[in-house]
Amino acid sequence: MDMKLLLDWRLHLTVVLASLLAEAIGILRIPLGPGTLLLLPLFYAFIIGVLLNPHLFSGMQRIIPKRVSNAAGPLIMISILPFIAKFGSTIGPAIEQIIAAGPALILQELGNLGTMLLALPFAVLVLRMGREAIGATYSIAREPNIAIISDKYGLRSPEGIGIMGVYVVGTMFGTLYFALMAGYLASLNVLDIRALAMACGVGSGSMVAACSGALAEAAPHLRDELLAFSGASNLLTYATGLYVSLFIALPAAEWLYKRLGGNPLQEVRHES
Amino acid sequence: MKADTTSALNAETLAELRPEQQLGKTALLLAAVCVAAWFSNMINGAPLIQALPGMVLLYAMVMLGLVIGRLVPFYLPSVAWVSLVSIAMTLPSFPGSAWVVEQLSHVNFLAVVTPVLAYAGLALTGREFTMFRQTGWKLVIVSLLVFTGTFVASAFIAHLIL
Repeated sequence: MDMKLLLDWRLHLTVVLASLLAEAIGILRIPLGPGTLLLLPLFYAFIIGVLLNPHLFSGMQRIIPKRVSNAAGPLIMISILPFIAKFGSTIGPAIEQIIAAGPALILQELGNLGTMLLALPFAVLVLRMGREAIGATYSIAREPNIAIISDKYGLRSPEGIGIMGVYVVGTMFGTLYFALMAGYLASLNVLDIRALAMACGVGSGSMVAACSGALAEAAPHLRDELLAFSGASNLLTYATGLYVSLFIALPAAEWLYKRLGGNPLQEVRHES
Repeated sequence: MKADTTSALNAETLAELRPEQQLGKTALLLAAVCVAAWFSNMINGAPLIQALPGMVLLYAMVMLGLVIGRLVPFYLPSVAWVSLVSIAMTLPSFPGSAWVVEQLSHVNFLAVVTPVLAYAGLALTGREFTMFRQTGWKLVIVSLLVFTGTFVASAFIAHLIL
């Protein structure tokens, strides 16, 4: 993409102003049932971004032309990298605690399989989805998982459409959802908050950020330890996630799909 | 139409996934997004001057990670390399790590993510809005189940072992 568009001052200035406004609003706590929902500045920044999006509100083209808005896409991936570096810096100083928690960190990676136990039957039996369900539910649909589906079925296949759908939803709303879920579960006090921190690591960069950030807000006295655990877990996900999903999760999803009565030959269409 | 949507997403996604393939370009863009993060950090992090060394360190760590990712003969996502560089530089045994940690403490963890989500909100295209209107609702429900299932299962296993 053209560098002029990627470096367009209107885009970056808008982002800076949106971020400043979001940061100024700060963290809000909303009681909900037995727990508390945490609203973080990153939510407001996203909402402000959507409200200024020229694809959604054509009046915004005067501030941000459509082609400039398109340039924001590639910037998401790059702007998450400084955060990843900040994240890694919480792991280094806590390395001894992380090694002590090693077995829990490694085994919780298998939690990825929980995905299909819940989501695959629902997709096939309730939503009557076809083979899209395999792509959509065999993993949490991050980049390495897409590579596997692309390699095995191609991205134009039903499986490919399934995983790309979850990928897009994850990119757009995963961050917000992870933060809400983590903050809420933490306020319920059922699971060890360090276990929740490790579970945050299953997501992509911004999901982990929002998720562990919400936990750190819920338990400020454990802040450094929680950030270190979720960072270490995320690193392991990148290192091992590919193999777990290729050799365990995908065959298991195929097996379960057949047991649920899905037809492997029939190509099922969305009724749009 | 569905297939076209997917392939367009595919090409764009793949280009986005490999920032280490175009280091010169990434270096400039990274500088721009770091400036955005630096400003975002003003309110709940630290004043601009105080946070400057930390932001420059983050910039350097990212570039170093991307260069390593470019040079090594096997593939690991660039986020993994960046994270490894930053872990290495903050290990207690790394020379000067105390100074590095001290500088980075002026950069607020969540403030760095705020601009990322602002970019994400601005980046939504007509394609995504259309997708959600048409067939997206099923995938949205499934996606939320996927996230919940993975998160709760992981947390549960970790809880049992801890």
